[in-house]
Amino acid sequence: MLALDNVSFDILAGEVHALVGENGAGKSTLIGILAGVHQPSVGQVLLDQKPTVFPDPLSSQRAGISVIFQEFSLLPHLSVAENVFIGREPRRGLMVDRATMNRRTREILRTLNLDIDSATPVSELAVSQQQLVEIARALSARARVIVMDEPTAALNEREAVRLLEIVRSLAAGGVSVLYVSHRLEEVFSIADRITVLRDGRHVVTERRSAITEQQVVSAMVGRELVHSTRPNRTVGPIVLEIRDVSVDGGLVRNVSFSLRRGEVLGLAGLMGSGCSELMEGLYGLREITEGSLLLEGRPLRTAGPQGAIRTGVGLVPEDRKRQSVFPDLSVVHNLTIANLPRWFRRLPGLLDLAAERRKTLDYKRQLNIRFTRPDQRISGLSGGNQQKVVLARALAGNCRVLLLAEPTRGVDVGAKAEIYALIDRLVQNGIAVVLQTTELPELLRLADRCIVFVAGEPRGELCGSQITQEAVMALATGLSHRVTISSASASSIQ
Amino acid sequence: MNANQPRSARVASSQVGLMLLIVCGAFTILSRQFLTPGNLLNVCTSASVVAIVGLGMTLAIASGNFDLSVGSTAAFAGCVTMSLVQRIGVAPAILAGLATGASVGLINGLIVTELGVPAFIATLGMLTIVRGAALIYTGGRDIYLYGQTQYKILSSGFAPVLLALALAFVLWFVLQHTRFGRHILATGSNAASARRVGVRTSLVLLGVFSIVGATAALSGLVLSAQVLTGNGRLATGLELSAIAVVVLGGTPLTGGKASISGTVLGSVLVAVINNGLNLLNISIFYQNVTLGLLLLGAIALEALGHRRTKQLTTP
Repeated sequence: MLALDNVSFDILAGEVHALVGENGAGKSTLIGILAGVHQPSVGQVLLDQKPTVFPDPLSSQRAGISVIFQEFSLLPHLSVAENVFIGREPRRGLMVDRATMNRRTREILRTLNLDIDSATPVSELAVSQQQLVEIARALSARARVIVMDEPTAALNEREAVRLLEIVRSLAAGGVSVLYVSHRLEEVFSIADRITVLRDGRHVVTERRSAITEQQVVSAMVGRELVHSTRPNRTVGPIVLEIRDVSVDGGLVRNVSFSLRRGEVLGLAGLMGSGCSELMEGLYGLREITEGSLLLEGRPLRTAGPQGAIRTGVGLVPEDRKRQSVFPDLSVVHNLTIANLPRWFRRLPGLLDLAAERRKTLDYKRQLNIRFTRPDQRISGLSGGNQQKVVLARALAGNCRVLLLAEPTRGVDVGAKAEIYALIDRLVQNGIAVVLQTTELPELLRLADRCIVFVAGEPRGELCGSQITQEAVMALATGLSHRVTISSASASSIQ
Repeated sequence: MNANQPRSARVASSQVGLMLLIVCGAFTILSRQFLTPGNLLNVCTSASVVAIVGLGMTLAIASGNFDLSVGSTAAFAGCVTMSLVQRIGVAPAILAGLATGASVGLINGLIVTELGVPAFIATLGMLTIVRGAALIYTGGRDIYLYGQTQYKILSSGFAPVLLALALAFVLWFVLQHTRFGRHILATGSNAASARRVGVRTSLVLLGVFSIVGATAALSGLVLSAQVLTGNGRLATGLELSAIAVVVLGGTPLTGGKASISGTVLGSVLVAVINNGLNLLNISIFYQNVTLGLLLLGAIALEALGHRRTKQLTTP
């Protein structure tokens, strides 16, 4: 099988070169070749015009290439300095020269504007700081080419902005950066040139100014994606009403809203704003310590997710891998697990396997989920299709209120558009949605109304055309309505 | 009969089936006594004792846990039943023994779910506690049953085999056709996800540990019926054989999958090998070594298969 077929492009010194493509486009394989993990069967890598082979990771590092993988390669129990200099510790005789190591680490950390002690164990750092330690390691190795694989995936918006600034300053200092991402906003705010891969083939390499976001997307998916916008929705009666709610004794405070049939309510805010905690409260994963919740006029039982599911509240959790998918179970079992009583035979506890299969095939058609057999393991499906199974799971009960947390995180552009269209259809059929997302374009695309949270409290509500990236960010970062922020900083905030 | 049909488990259980055929063939050639009805019944009986507790262990491992206390539980339950047979009759005494096992399992489960102690540590502690309890209960002496032929029924003829097969069917049915079974696999596959779909994972684990305890007790009862003796030192090391047959049968230690048929075949394989080595007059010390090698081989094969599929799926 060819994972990569005849791909050629070049990276200039001091350039930020973005590499984009859907999952499975061949990005990882290409990174693997540069890192010395994979070997090309044909073709070569030219470094400074000279053909170079990297039979193993060490030779690639020696040649000045540093790869920062999505999963960090830091050793959690070692200190920052030890991690930065691992394998290249400065020595004095037989001993590691700790003083020099710490001093040089501090220098590098200073250039990164990172205020941490070089002796701190890495396990005590935040994810964003760990990311910067990876970069520090690349710098200490005097890397001339730094490859970053989805570097902002684990970062919140503010940290992502910091990272992008650092990438820019690296490039200004003459380092070449190959920036692999499928967040197009980011790519367009930082790249000098953009290369698109699709199905292992090189589609296009173009200067950023010479290509539009829409063109990149079509190059990635190989067809024109209909640029979709939020449809006009007709809303029905109130389904969910919450009054003066506090979650977990004050993690989230004083929240009141009502949600109607056929409406999407967005919850927005920076990380730590309390949106996820509120979602978990609504689903019974956290305790509602104050206030009241009414579902269709009746008090909503929030004692655990069982109660929520039974009364018609469904959740698509925020982290697919850790919180929603059962990798060892089949597609059917993943789909029906939250609502097994629906498939009971006469004796409670006994399952009607044939009915489960039929329902799964139903959803396969309705949601256009791509799999071959219902008893296939879910881990063989793409991220987008796994997410659709999770969506079907939430819908399979008598779902009237659907809680969507980061519904398109980690799915590729094509699947994203499909999921948006699905949500539109569900909402049109009368489901009420609460959407929690840190992706502003997603909020704009889906939400009819949006409440912005800061530090656990609602800071303001925006309606319809009032929802713009600038307005949301102004509320979320604590600037008031009156302060308008310049478009430059607003676009870099994404 | 794989409860959840991932290809790897099916391959593993056909692997253990193939190994079983080869080993049986070899012993048939090497020993004239091997393929005699009397000897085969022996093999089946000893396979059943391990299979019974191994089947319970399969559930525990599928739920992402395991239970090291089963050998002690078997001994304790055997002693309890033995001491009660003459006082309250055979059937009530058997029920009391099973209840003892289930209670030990429940305590294991409570330590894991309520105190948050990892199953390894919790059941390791219980291993020594329950063993001690059994010895205290008997005062370190054997409890003999004279003339209680009724109790002997548990271990005579095909009774152990029928018990094991019945248990295998029940547990297979539970895994395949009931909500409880589905919840066990879900908990083992991803406990955080399970809680989010409304699975009460603590209750599931309490149920699983109680079942393991009861199956351990049942195999303890069969063992003690064989010798008509209650002994606090019975079934030492049973926990390792139980885990070994589960793993040999293709149920991965990582949870979320279970192969009931694999566990049954694994138990038969181990019993056949031990029996064959006995017939060939090879010392029991070598039997231990063989079991260990077999287990390592099975795990290495699984790891190898894992690595290969991983290579195939990453582009």
